[in-house]
Amino acid sequence: MKGLLTILRRSPRAAFGVGLLAALLLLALLAPLLTPYSPTSQAFGTWLKPGGEHLLGTTALGQDIWSQLVYGARLTLLIGFTAGLVATAIGTALGLSAAYFGGRTDEAINVLINVFLVLPGLPLLIIASAFLRGGGVWSIILVIALTGWAWGARVLRSQALALRNRDFVQAAIVSGERPARIIFAEMLPNLAGLIAAGFFSTALYAVLSEAALAFLGMGDVSQVTWGTMMYWAQARGALLQGAWWWVAAPGLCIALLGTAFALVNFGIDEVTNPRVIHEARATRVLRRNRAAPQAEPALEPPQPLLAIRHLSAGYVTPQGPVRAVRDVTLSVAPGEFLGLAGESGCGKSTLAFAATRLLDAPGVVFDGEARLAGQDLLALNPAELRRVRWKDYSLVFQASMNILNPVLRIREQVYDAMQAHGVQDRGRLEARARELFALVGIREDYLNAYPHQLSGGMKQRVVIAIALALEPKLVVMDEPTTALDVVVQRQILQEIDAVRKRLGISIVFITHDLSLLVEMSDRIAIMYAGEVVEEAPAHELYAQPKHPYTRRLMGAFPPLEGPRERREGIPGRPPSLAQDIPYCPFFERCPNHLPGTCDVFKPARVEVTSGHSVACFLHSPAVKEEAYAAD
Amino acid sequence: MPQTEPHARSTAKPNAADEPAPALILEGLTKVFQVGRSGRSVTAVNNVTLSIGRGEVLGLVGESGSGKSTIARLIAHLHEPTSGAMCLAGKPVPRQLRGRALTRFRKDVQMIFQDPFASLNPLHTIGYTLARPLEIHGFARKGNVQAQVSTLLDRVGLSPGASYAAKRPHELSGGQRQRVVIARALAARPELILADEPTSALDVSIRLDIMNLLLDLRDQEGLSMLFITHDLAGARYMSDRIAVMYAGYLVEIGPAERVIGQPQMPYTQLLKRAAPKPEGNLNAGGLEAPGEIPDLANLPPGCPFEPRCPHARAVCRAGLPRMYDVGAGHQARCILHDPELAAQPLLHPALQPHATL
Repeated sequence: MKGLLTILRRSPRAAFGVGLLAALLLLALLAPLLTPYSPTSQAFGTWLKPGGEHLLGTTALGQDIWSQLVYGARLTLLIGFTAGLVATAIGTALGLSAAYFGGRTDEAINVLINVFLVLPGLPLLIIASAFLRGGGVWSIILVIALTGWAWGARVLRSQALALRNRDFVQAAIVSGERPARIIFAEMLPNLAGLIAAGFFSTALYAVLSEAALAFLGMGDVSQVTWGTMMYWAQARGALLQGAWWWVAAPGLCIALLGTAFALVNFGIDEVTNPRVIHEARATRVLRRNRAAPQAEPALEPPQPLLAIRHLSAGYVTPQGPVRAVRDVTLSVAPGEFLGLAGESGCGKSTLAFAATRLLDAPGVVFDGEARLAGQDLLALNPAELRRVRWKDYSLVFQASMNILNPVLRIREQVYDAMQAHGVQDRGRLEARARELFALVGIREDYLNAYPHQLSGGMKQRVVIAIALALEPKLVVMDEPTTALDVVVQRQILQEIDAVRKRLGISIVFITHDLSLLVEMSDRIAIMYAGEVVEEAPAHELYAQPKHPYTRRLMGAFPPLEGPRERREGIPGRPPSLAQDIPYCPFFERCPNHLPGTCDVFKPARVEVTSGHSVACFLHSPAVKEEAYAAD
Repeated sequence: MPQTEPHARSTAKPNAADEPAPALILEGLTKVFQVGRSGRSVTAVNNVTLSIGRGEVLGLVGESGSGKSTIARLIAHLHEPTSGAMCLAGKPVPRQLRGRALTRFRKDVQMIFQDPFASLNPLHTIGYTLARPLEIHGFARKGNVQAQVSTLLDRVGLSPGASYAAKRPHELSGGQRQRVVIARALAARPELILADEPTSALDVSIRLDIMNLLLDLRDQEGLSMLFITHDLAGARYMSDRIAVMYAGYLVEIGPAERVIGQPQMPYTQLLKRAAPKPEGNLNAGGLEAPGEIPDLANLPPGCPFEPRCPHARAVCRAGLPRMYDVGAGHQARCILHDPELAAQPLLHPALQPHATL
């Protein structure tokens, strides 16, 4: 019941469908109140026009069409719902059993399903109903259910097979649950949406089949249904007599019923498979135009390659904005390897995506700037951005091996980025592709392979090769090796390091694995609750972490050497990013916080030793001015 | 923070005559899967023999495809072994179990899955999920199920338990969900817990909390545990002994400190060098083992690691090396521990050996 209400609230289409269905049901239930005449009475004049005594006129036999329509709704709906229920029950039972028991049972049921799917529906209906002729309504329901269950069973079987391998079903098996309980208490409720959708589809199929059978005269034409109404109208040449309403009224009702079923189904689909409407465009930038960009004189003599200044970014949700990145200032020098670390949800990926204009809706940049070699990426229009992206900077994601198109050869996918940026000559493309593969340590003959022929590690190398194709100055890598095994991870990290040193590119490397980062990076920035709380040269950060969060994060990795002693995790959770945080975001979890200071003021990030800055009152009393709290 | 010594406990000696039988003994456990309609055979677990003492944590380490998760699923009877024997607390377990016998067996062996977001049914309350094992295994008496559920939740650090029982999984954080999963495993009062990468889906800041909880439960209740992981440092933190798997074979087993400190099989050495080490240098020594894990349907004839091994000799290709005793309770599957075989010339001189045994 609660599920139904959510569906109605979230999907106007479903609400309209349910309303339509309810109206038709009322029509059927209240038939005696809606018309004074019996649908079978032939006591009236023939071929009367609509209006007056007879709302929709009368038939060639002198029956009232309106009465036939409202009474006909009863049988039509009864056949639709009952046949739908029976077919859904058969399909659900067989589909779930096939998926749960597997093996021979599955194969037998699968063969049965496929046989019924291959048999053409209408001829089967006709033959079966010829056999069961004279059996009345129930034989029609049986025939329709028997021809209509297979499609739903097939969909359910494939979904249940996926569900069967889910951990919670395995966990129920291990805890000792019996098969019936697993099927009915664990699996069935998770398939409710699918089963409901299957029911409405088969109910629609049942209504249409009944109409088709009746129209062909195969059903029991002495009963009043919308199908038999059309049969008689056709048999008596209603259209030739100009009595189009005799055909139109039942036809329209069937169409309305079909629309109602389809709308309810759409609604179920909308709610159970929410699809984010994807807007393929550059990240929305909401910052106000500054009167004059404060001309920041080149304070740091070596001009940074990437300069992120006061960047605030996040997501616009119905509950309000979520600031995942809060006033972050960070720079990457040419040829530098910058590591970005923090727990999940600390904003490290959002920062990288926002700075490179890759943050998809509902993500937005609220304020700040990100300059790549002096050019403000956040001010570029989409055409300019397309020119810069991949040529000046490129990206490698965590599961990026999945971006390889399974039906294209690796060669074409390596060519693709270069072709998009104007390299067309086959010879040059091929030479460059071979060069790239040598660079990341893959044999050249893999250029002819399809992605499925490569292991996960190989695919990730291909993706890195593609990212390097146009010799970008900066490559942003978001957990590029997290899904890989340690040995493969190490091999790839070594390739990345070698390539960086040879080509002199800068790398921003995002990961939660701090010990890995210390080994790889020149400099590390630690993020917490959307802010950079500490930034230092990698080995200094490892030797002398200053922020209590960095220290605890460092301690959260058990060592491979030294005494085996009990360590503590970091108790508590980061604050919600939907709120303003005008105090130190870590104070609640901090064992050393200063009451009256850390929970009242926000520490500014201050350079405590050369190149090592930290935002913590234990190290500097400087208070940070809240730039955005006002808006 | 208090620096207590968590591993100060006697290492189980499974063969000592005066001690009770080990919690689990596996003898030649093998699982061959038939893949696809062509009936290609994939040997996921190959003749594995090991034991877990009472109250012992055995770490099982390996990369994906090494067969470590399959071993847990074989022990839990989620798959049926192709061959091999298994003893639980000294009693042989039949390879095929059905009906009541299977339910009784499941009471004693419980499993913790990797991803707490996937291993709890999203539609059930925490209370329902925890009450089920109590009901199935006959611990529930009228009226006290709720009290038992709260006690379970309190034991895994979710207090007050009663307030968590009414929640559904989506209302809990990853760490809290994993605690519920652990509580479900405890509900049946098992002898043996199979923990299949219980921390790898969790955030770094809570991994230690979950590992500490498991260690506390082991200390308080004397549980035996198989702790599966791909993380050497985590295995060292958790385990009394560590077993290393490669391509379905057990290749090294021994006391945790020794296996990680002085690995005696080239593959374990490779794993150790590949692990992130903040104090180290990325390229120090490099990795001299090219290639990847072999195709399980087409294993090399001898040692599974031979094609990648810088120390390989001709004899490694001829047949599977046996397990050599290399120290107290420490065994490694490598012919370098046989001085006569180790004197043979190298098979792959191009792979420069980095460290000698």
